[in-house]
Amino acid sequence: MQIFNDYKDYADFLTVYVREAHPTDEWQMKSNVKDDVCYAQPRNLSDRLAIANDFTKRFKFPVPFGVDDMNNAANDAYAAWPERLYIIDENGKIAYRGGNGPFKYYPSEVRAWLAARYGEVKHPEAKPEEKKTEEKKVAEKKS
Amino acid sequence: MKKVFMWIGISLGVVLVAAFVALSVMAGGPKDALYMVRYALPHMHRGNLKPGDGAPDAKLFALNGTDTFHIRDRAAGKPLVLVFGSFT
Repeated sequence: MQIFNDYKDYADFLTVYVREAHPTDEWQMKSNVKDDVCYAQPRNLSDRLAIANDFTKRFKFPVPFGVDDMNNAANDAYAAWPERLYIIDENGKIAYRGGNGPFKYYPSEVRAWLAARYGEVKHPEAKPEEKKTEEKKVAEKKS
Repeated sequence: MKKVFMWIGISLGVVLVAAFVALSVMAGGPKDALYMVRYALPHMHRGNLKPGDGAPDAKLFALNGTDTFHIRDRAAGKPLVLVFGSFT
């Protein structure tokens, strides 16, 4: 998650794992079969935790992680399903409310909020100079 | 009078077909549209939260399954970016 890498010194991040969006026993997506991401909708906390752990291990996910309970308390409180972004400010108020994903899920709005407050931050690996070098290498190979 | 009902019926039919076609395009196909109606729409809510509202709290489990913490615990001193989602 690029935004996390860029802004982790300025803001805290928390991923909240909620009920599955496309489990095998509901609306499964072909892309999930292709990517071998096939799970039934968890019926208990152990199942939910197992999937959450699979996710974090598979992607070596660096963002702090929490798992919603089986009453879906966090999901209900934030109307979060299937995916959604929020920013809570230092006073505990909602500073940004994203739309419901996937159609209204815009990480760029979170980045813009953080950039407006802390300035543009770019991850060292995404420096334009390095990108340019890479582009040059590709151009050289082509020629 | 009979004609009025007929036209109302036809209009409703056209609207329903158009809605289903639109949903199919959005979801990726007719089957996906049906699944979307059955499995996704009942769980998808806009919610009432808006900027300026107090952020609700909720208890979460750590990945080890035994430790718990509250969202509010993580919102201390700095803005907190909440990323809700799942694996699939």
